[in-house]
Amino acid sequence: MLALRGRDMVARKACRVLGIGSAFSSSSHREAVRKTGSSSMLIPFSMKNCFQLLCNRQVPTAGFKKTVKNGFIIHSISNDVYQNLAVEDWIHDHMNLEDKPILFFWRNSPSVVIGRHQNPWQECNLNLMREEGIKLARRRSGGGAVYHDMGNINLTFFTTKKKYDRMENLKLIVRALNAIHPQLDVQATKRFDLLLDGQFKISGTASKIGRTTAYHHCTLLCSTDGTFLSSLLKSPYQGIRSNATASIPSLVKNLLEKDPTLTCEVLMNAVATEYAAYHQTDNHIHLINPTDETLFPGINSKAKELQTWEWIYGKTPKFSINTSFNVLYEQSHLNIKVFIDIKNGKIEICNIEAPDHWLPLEILDKLNSSLVGSKFCPTETTMLTNILLRTCPQDHKLHSKWNILCEKIKGIM
Amino acid sequence: MVIMRAVLCSLCAVLAPAAPCLLRAWQLGAGVIRTLCMGLALLSVCKFTEKHECVTTENGVGTVGISNFAQEEALGNVVYCSLLEVGTKLNKQDAFGALESVKAASELYSPLSGEVSEINEALSENPGLVSKFCYEDGWLIKMTLSNPSALDEISS
Repeated sequence: MLALRGRDMVARKACRVLGIGSAFSSSSHREAVRKTGSSSMLIPFSMKNCFQLLCNRQVPTAGFKKTVKNGFIIHSISNDVYQNLAVEDWIHDHMNLEDKPILFFWRNSPSVVIGRHQNPWQECNLNLMREEGIKLARRRSGGGAVYHDMGNINLTFFTTKKKYDRMENLKLIVRALNAIHPQLDVQATKRFDLLLDGQFKISGTASKIGRTTAYHHCTLLCSTDGTFLSSLLKSPYQGIRSNATASIPSLVKNLLEKDPTLTCEVLMNAVATEYAAYHQTDNHIHLINPTDETLFPGINSKAKELQTWEWIYGKTPKFSINTSFNVLYEQSHLNIKVFIDIKNGKIEICNIEAPDHWLPLEILDKLNSSLVGSKFCPTETTMLTNILLRTCPQDHKLHSKWNILCEKIKGIM
Repeated sequence: MVIMRAVLCSLCAVLAPAAPCLLRAWQLGAGVIRTLCMGLALLSVCKFTEKHECVTTENGVGTVGISNFAQEEALGNVVYCSLLEVGTKLNKQDAFGALESVKAASELYSPLSGEVSEINEALSENPGLVSKFCYEDGWLIKMTLSNPSALDEISS
């Protein structure tokens, strides 16, 4: 363990990183307020306590008891979906949650998050996401696809495996909502959704169970862009056959629409208050920086892994596409059939069929065989098809047809 | 045979108190009883880790599944099963896949060290199979063990 002097140095460095004074002065408080836009219960986190806390087994019990009684509430200062998902991984892998459950609040800039075993081509409009710069993340928990923006609050309940209880957590959220709005009709369903007025989904749930720890996370729709959500979570891709877990689309509503006082800050504070009361712990929301390696050693490599193509796309369960599209040729439409098998995100079998009076069979064969083994990805396909085109005869008409075909194929990726 | 069965029952009780499935194994077939009669050295025992994975070994190959207890109590209806690929090297306690049931992804941990030699492809079409008795249709992976006698280290 670090000597006390070493810990203080870590504390000072961490405070610098967080951009807050190491002493809890009014100026540092204003700074914290400015950064988070909230004047509620957010206080700068004591780094010394945090370091003790986060080095689980090596810390004497007295140290834990001093800082954390029976529960702990944290809030990420980052809006990056990968960094925030990495916090979950880190806590899950490194912390002993025996008698020390944790509640984690986080919000993300516009992102679509799919479940562990889902197929992004089946779940969302990837073309639209690329156009609009919306991130795609695959989380490690199960469940369906969701859209996150700053109007959505994510809550993660970390417990030991024994204390894992999703319904208990959802009941806590309902109590919190009713505490600030007693007439609000919110109910948890058997599938762990929260419904407003018996019909509108305001929260979806997913969870991960590990060796000794588990986490249950859920969304809470406060003021999300509902129209954008619907268009992003609607897949335009046809002919997909897959065993991946499929989402169940639901009508959603924002809590803010029901009651304009229910802002994200108000909701977070209400849930924190209820959590603190339930676990008989301090009602303080501690800010954390998910990129800080001194607090979370190894967390940045977890965030990196979550951003790799291999994780996001490569983990898609095996699937096949059986579809067709039309191309205009001499004032009539030609039908092009496509049969593609994809495993680990890469093309295993590729059969694009087009009439040979439109495109010579040998050129189609070249295209089919060169796509096998490549990523099912428009960028990689562009690169491959450009290289291939150079090997084809320099015929303007042929090149034009080739380009039309390649654009159509990339359109299904 | 009656005596043999009584011995086996007490063996089951000692080895895997949370697992009624062991007894079912011995009710299965004359073939199994014959194996037992040939000596304890050849006894195929399904050992349970405290984490609910179970493993049976034969000739240095381990077959891993999950106990009925785990399946019923912790998981419920399994809707998806993901497994690492053949050739993956695993240390004891390494994660080798996950089972999904009603939005919960439950990690699977290897009870032994070795290399994945086979994965149960039937599970991708029919993940509900894991609920079958762990060394029948519901097996998850087979692995060549780095230490065949390591089976004894697993707590019962």
